[in-house]
This record gives sequence, structure tokens and C-alpha cells, in this order.
Amino acid sequence: MRILEPTQDWPSVLLARAGEAAEEPTLGRAEAAGGWASFRRAVTALSPDEVTRIVAESGLRGRGGAGYPTGRKWRACAQQPPSARFVVANGFEADPGAQLDRTLMERDPHAVLEGLALAAYAVGATQAYVAVKSSATLAARRLREAVQQAEEQGILGTRAIDGRVDLHVEIREVQGGFVVGEETVLLRALENKRAQPDQRPPYPTERGLFDRPTVVNNVETLAAVPWIVAHGAAAYAGLGVGGQSGTTLLQVSGAVQTPGIVEVPLGTALTEVLALAGSVEAPKAVLVGGPSGAFLPPDGSAVGLDPDRLGEAGAIWGSGTVLVADEHACIVDMASLMTRYLNDEACGKTIPCRIGLRRLAEIGDRFTSGRPRPTDRQLLDDLCADTRDAALCALESTATNPLLSGMRYFASEFEAHIVRGECPAGVCQPLRVAAGAAR
Amino acid sequence: MSFMDRLPGWGLFKGVSFGVVQMLRPKVTVQYPEEIVDISPHHRGRLLLLYDEFGTLKCETCFQCAAACPIECIDMGGVDTKNRFHVHWGPAEQYAERREESALRRSGRTVPDRSFSAWQGIDLAPLDAILTEEDHSPRKMLRILERTQETYGHLPVAAIQHISHKTGAWYSEIYGIATSYRQLRFQPVAAHELAVCRCTVCTLQGGGRVLAAFEAALGTGVEGVSPDGRVRLLTVDCGGESSGTGPRVLVDGVAQTRLTAERATEIAAHLRSGHLADSRPA
Repeated sequence: MRILEPTQDWPSVLLARAGEAAEEPTLGRAEAAGGWASFRRAVTALSPDEVTRIVAESGLRGRGGAGYPTGRKWRACAQQPPSARFVVANGFEADPGAQLDRTLMERDPHAVLEGLALAAYAVGATQAYVAVKSSATLAARRLREAVQQAEEQGILGTRAIDGRVDLHVEIREVQGGFVVGEETVLLRALENKRAQPDQRPPYPTERGLFDRPTVVNNVETLAAVPWIVAHGAAAYAGLGVGGQSGTTLLQVSGAVQTPGIVEVPLGTALTEVLALAGSVEAPKAVLVGGPSGAFLPPDGSAVGLDPDRLGEAGAIWGSGTVLVADEHACIVDMASLMTRYLNDEACGKTIPCRIGLRRLAEIGDRFTSGRPRPTDRQLLDDLCADTRDAALCALESTATNPLLSGMRYFASEFEAHIVRGECPAGVCQPLRVAAGAAR
Repeated sequence: MSFMDRLPGWGLFKGVSFGVVQMLRPKVTVQYPEEIVDISPHHRGRLLLLYDEFGTLKCETCFQCAAACPIECIDMGGVDTKNRFHVHWGPAEQYAERREESALRRSGRTVPDRSFSAWQGIDLAPLDAILTEEDHSPRKMLRILERTQETYGHLPVAAIQHISHKTGAWYSEIYGIATSYRQLRFQPVAAHELAVCRCTVCTLQGGGRVLAAFEAALGTGVEGVSPDGRVRLLTVDCGGESSGTGPRVLVDGVAQTRLTAERATEIAAHLRSGHLADSRPA
């Protein structure tokens, strides 16, 4: 997918050294552009605590969806009693409609690896993993080559950089469904166990991979770390908008002229991003966050794109995708289909997720097929609340987003389906088709 | 009836004295975690049938274990050592459930059901090679299962059983791992494959209706095989690339553009009836 050129004066951090898609990202090219300089400087001049402090002061937050402060996560892991520790780069992009992480790993694998090495240095890990979706073969190959080149040049491996570094990076191709992108599930997948999430606490920073303290960071988070160490925490914190720090990758698609990936300062207003991709004049809705994301109304699209403000609007950061829906889309239909997808992908460990999501999908089907029951709206609210309360993992706690945000911002459209049995967008065919087939 | 039984109050005395005697007897309950009972040296815990180095069962069907079992949990059957008679230990088969597939299999009889074919032997040489390369390690189970599937096209029951015997992992554990990953499957390879992307971009463009059409026409859900075993319904990741081209649908690996639900039903019907040529895009 192509990378959009920003029209405004937006800083470039993650894609600063990214090459063209066909260009092989060799170590020499990366080093000429300043790659691995931060890591070399960190291991020679900075202590692990200082690296963690810089990252904490920069305000870097996890780009995997939850937005947990990265510095705090590293500190929690570093404070554990001495034992083997692991760092895992989560490049398993669970959203089937996103390729942000894949693009980043393909274009600049050295930035991801350098961030991984810095994280390992900060927490004292000697073994690190990069989990890549097995369908992203190019990303896996380029990462492997990057690791090999770095080991040959004495940056990674045993007693690298004058005996200061002892770090082995393994690239693991992981297959699986949507839920594998969740951090505890990913750890179980790396352990060759059943793909199901675990109860937290204890968090992975305490008991993670093979029950050892483990830092799990998204590859996008890690790719920002070398820049932070090179340019300082204050410089990174100054990049964001509205109290947020740094930049982030976004993927815009749907009813836009130029779908693509763009790097924007965190907290940028949604309208600016839509304008860049050439969105339709009056979008009906904007879906942020992938399959478990939330629908936002067009008049609310001035909302800043950062985890906090999205959370206030009932949305999530999720996979970092922005989908523009025009007037041909039916929100009820979309929401119920997304709920059905999440139900199919649920691992089934907790009952509210396994059964509640199925009931939610059935309620959505009844809405679209025009045969709702009088109790359905109440049942939907109760089920969503219960599912969220019982949530064991992020899939479960966010699975209610599509229907809840739809009910919240597009109440009139739901009303039309439920009360009058008609679909304003003309997508659903309520009452004319048997229930279940009208999906 | 004896003399004592006729004595008034004798029954009451008998009852009360029994209670009193029991009350004065020492307690035999063992406070388990603190005290541990001295267990017979013959106790082995888990029930396992052992195989010799040639892969044949070491069990001679002597029934000694079944006879010794204090709680009669061993119910065994098979043929005698000269392979002539069917022998059986345990309660008589009086319920229908005992004539079920699993009960027949346990008692060593042939199972007429076709689904039993999954248990039939496969060539284990490639699997042994995989297991040797992966160190027979249960910690590499996912890799073992993925490679087994690459070799056999799916995960035959016999292969999982063999992996269980060789790695020491429980069959149920392996089965649990295999069922929790999308890509691992238990049915043999189907002649045709349909793949639909379920991402939000494709859903926006009607991917849900295409998928529903496929599901209805094939009579199976996602990751399933149609009942006639001809078509498998899979998912594919479009990575958001399908903007403007309709939902990403692959028919035997060939990408379709702007597929409608009606056309999807046609394609599925064609694939099931074997007319592949009609399903290709014009």
C-alpha cells in the first residue's frame, strides 16, 4: 500500500529512513541514514535506567491499541527480580484490513530491530523475538536479513559491540486469527500453546513468555525509540498535538480517493487526515480502529486521533486504521457483521465472550432482517456491559464497540431498522428476506 | 427369626450400639496434604498402554489390571493372544452407548462408520522425519503441527496420535492446540478453495453478503468444508488493498473483482458440481 505524502508540515519519525517498497533495506544504507547510532551510543554512554528514563520522559505510548506508556512498561519489567527476560516485538497485525506494521517492517526493518535492541538493553534481556504474521513473507525475510547483517557487523549477537551487548533476535512467523494479536495470546503462540489469553495481573512484565518478565511492544512503538534516544525526549514530546507526544502511522481507506498510509502527529484531528486522503464531501461515518473499532459521526470527526480522546468518544485506537463510509453504507449492517466476525474469532475462554458475542451478533441480525424483539435494545445494552466487565482480553472488551458506537451516534438509523423496518442506505432488506440470510 | 429378635427393644439396642461402637472407633480419614497414605509400590497413577520397540501393543489382554482395579474403572477388551476370540472385561453391554463408535473401538471391534477412516493408518515415515528434526519436543508443537499439515494436507487423527506417543504430550493437549489455530485443519484437502476477506474495508463493500452467500451455498461456515468435501471456505487478508475493487475473494487463488452475492452463489454451485471453468472471471 502506498505511503501518502503529507501536505502539511508534519514531522517524519517512523518513516524518516524508510526506503521505497522495492528497495532492499541493507545495513549499510540504514547506517548511512543514522541507523544503529542510537543503540551504539546507548550501550557505550547510557545506563539502562537512563534509556528507560528518556523513553518515559518522551511520553511514548504503545501503538498497539491500548496506549500504555512504554517507559512505565519497561521500568516495571526492569524492576523484577533477576531472571531471564524477554522482549517481544508484536508485528502480528491482527486486523486483516491493515498493513501498517507490515509496511514499516518491510521498509525499515533496522529501525524496528534497533528499537528492540534498545528495549532489551533497557530491561536487561538477552533474547528477543519479533512476531510476524506468516503471510507477511517479505517483512519476515527482510527482518531476517537485517538480523543477519547486524550480527555479521557485530551489533547483535554474543559479545557484540566490544562485549557490551549480548542479544539474540529471533524472527518468528506466527499464524492464527484475530485474537493472536493480543499480547498474552501472542506469548502463548510463541510458547507453542493454545491461543487463548491469560488473566492479568500478573502482567507480562511480571510473568510473560515462559513465565519470565517480558516486555511486549508493538513494532511501531519500538521503531520510534531510536529517534527518541537520538534526538532527546523533549523533541519527541513536542511533536504531538494537544498534549500527546510523537507521531503515529495511520491507514486510510474506504470512500477516499487515495487510500494509503500516512504518518501524522499523535492527536491530529481526524478531519485533517481525511482531507489528506481525499475523502468524499460528506462522509456518513468514520470507522476508527479496525474490526473492533467504533463508528464516529462526521460532525464529530474533528476529534483528535489519540487513545485518550478516542476513548472519551467511545472508540479505540485499535489497529490504527481509518475507514471512511459514504452514504451507501449501512451502519447497522456493518456493525452486526463486525460483531459476527469478532464472535467467529473469539477464542471462547470466557463465557460472556463466547456466548454473549454470539447473542449480540444475533441481535444485530434481527435488526438488519427487520424482526427485532421488543427487549432487544435492553438486552444489547446489558450484554455489552457484561461482556466488557468480564473481559479477559482486549478483543472481548472492545468487541462491543461497533454496535454500541452505532447505537450512540447513529441512533436514527437503528431506529429506522428497528421501528419502521426500513434501511435508509438500501443495503439491508428487512422483512423481505428470511432472518440470517440478509447479512 | 431368632429369640433375640423377638425381644422388645432389641432392634433399638442394636441400632444405638452400632452408633456408639462406630463413634468410639479410631477415625480412618487421612488429612491428605498433611498426611500421605502409604501407597502400594505397584501404583502407577495414569493408565497407559505401552508399545514395544516394534510399535505393537505390549498389553497381552490378561485382565490382571482390570481384576485388580479397586474401583473397576478398567473396562477392556480385545482379541486373545492367538488372535481368535474376542475377549472382554467389564459390565455387559446393555446400553446403546456401549455400541457407539468409541465403545466399539475400545473393545477392539471394527467400527462400521465411515468417519472411522480418519483412524486408519497413514505413512508415518515423513512424520517421524519431522519429529526428529523438531527434537520430539512438545515445546515446538505448533511447528510440528504446521509441518505435519504441510506434509499430509491436513492433520490425520493417526498423525496426532503418533505425535502424542512420540512427544509425550497428551492427545487432548495437542488437539486443543490444533483447534485453537485457524490454519490447522482436520478434514482432508478439498478440490476447491474459496477465500473471503473479512476486514472492515471488504465488509463495507459487501463482503458480508458474499460470505453469507458462500456459506448458504456450501452448507458450511468459515474454515469449513462443504458436506460433499469438494469446497473449502477460507479467509484471506486483503490488508486494506481492496478499496474500490469490491471485497477480496479468491476462487482457487484467482482474485475476483466486484463480486456480488448472486454471482457468489453461482460460483459456489459451479464448484460443487465440478464445472470449474464457469467460475473463472470473464
